[in-house]
Amino acid sequence: MSDANEHLEKLMQELRRGTITIAVLSQLSEPQYGYSLVTLLSEKGVQVEPGTLYPLLRRLEKQGILDSKWDTNEARPRKYYLLSETGKEVFDLLVIEWKSIVKSLNGVIEAKGDDSNGTD
Amino acid sequence: MELINRYIYAVTQKLPQAQRKDIEEELRGLIEDMLDERVGDTGITVQDIEAVLLELGSPRKLADQYRGTKRYLIGPEIFDSYILVLKIVMIITASVIGINFVIQVILNPVEILDHFIDLIIGLVTGLPTAFGWTTFGFAIPEMAGAYNFKELSLESEWRPSDLPPVPDEKRQIKRGEALFGIIFYSIFIVIFAFSSEYFGVWRFTDEFTGVVPFLNEQTYGTYLLFIILIFGFGVIKECLKLVFGKWTYKLAAYTLIVNLISMAGVLLMISGPEFWNPNFVMELVDAGILTTGSEAFDIVSKIWEQSTFWIFILLIIGLIWDAVDGFIRARKK
Repeated sequence: MSDANEHLEKLMQELRRGTITIAVLSQLSEPQYGYSLVTLLSEKGVQVEPGTLYPLLRRLEKQGILDSKWDTNEARPRKYYLLSETGKEVFDLLVIEWKSIVKSLNGVIEAKGDDSNGTD
Repeated sequence: MELINRYIYAVTQKLPQAQRKDIEEELRGLIEDMLDERVGDTGITVQDIEAVLLELGSPRKLADQYRGTKRYLIGPEIFDSYILVLKIVMIITASVIGINFVIQVILNPVEILDHFIDLIIGLVTGLPTAFGWTTFGFAIPEMAGAYNFKELSLESEWRPSDLPPVPDEKRQIKRGEALFGIIFYSIFIVIFAFSSEYFGVWRFTDEFTGVVPFLNEQTYGTYLLFIILIFGFGVIKECLKLVFGKWTYKLAAYTLIVNLISMAGVLLMISGPEFWNPNFVMELVDAGILTTGSEAFDIVSKIWEQSTFWIFILLIIGLIWDAVDGFIRARKK
């Protein structure tokens, strides 16, 4: 059983890598700083490690999907991220793709039992 | 707090200068947020800091994630070419050193121990030097980001029609053949560079007593550069064959060009009156190998006079055939 868990862990890591980006983008129509995103997402059941999230945010910013702004008014300076115009478009398209993946994968997973009946 | 500084330093020093400050501030904010979350406003202990840093993971892993790309001295895009060139360079270096040893031992077997020590020193210093310079040559453009990754990238777009055809048996260039060529040319470079005075007719009376040289020793220094260049071109030609792996028009054209340059070089060199030893025949007589007036003397004189011409003819035939052969093989589908 531990063997299966080990495999599962590796596969989940790969699976999460892409979905985290969608989750992050979904929360950034309002400006957020890194750690507030971690808490926000974890409240909604999406676990993201800060060590993964922070570099991801910077990468997305570099690609032009996110805009960023330092807020130095508070006691602790924080870098806020927000979807750019391109980012909004990308996110909308990404959601459509995601839904279609979910749909087809559901189809595949649920059709699994029919395999023995042959193909048609 | 000192631990936090050390952690942040460990991460940012692995990152490009331009990003350091920004990432440093962001990371510091993050760690403080995480600490707040963990202990609230009560006193922060070292254990808390350690726990937070452990949660963030090792600095190296974090820096890798910030960087996005892995760092390479020689990236995977050019690794294959690098290994190929490295192999060629190592083989050339090792054969030059090895051949030099063999020649020295033949010429002066008494001092074999000294030659052997030279061989070891040559290998120990020469091979790492060759390795170092090759790696250096590849690594500098890599660091400067000069390689065109769009073209080289492993994921770049390709069309099935771009696939090279499986080469015909006859178009394929055997690696051994090219390597043999490289070693062959290297042998000549070594012979000419280090032991030209032994290039001639060897005299033996019981044991080796001297050489009647083919070449004019007075002018030899000037010609040496030519000779090394010509054989160097030969090495380049064989390297090209090794890189291409099969005959193509391009390779055949390169071969032709290299051969033409070699031919021009040889022509310039041996047609000059000062290349060959002008007293060759007389020295043979002096050495007691020939006697004037004998039939052998006439034959040797005649051969010696005409040798330039015939060597050149043979060379031209050889080099032209080499290039023509390339074109013929390249045509084969």
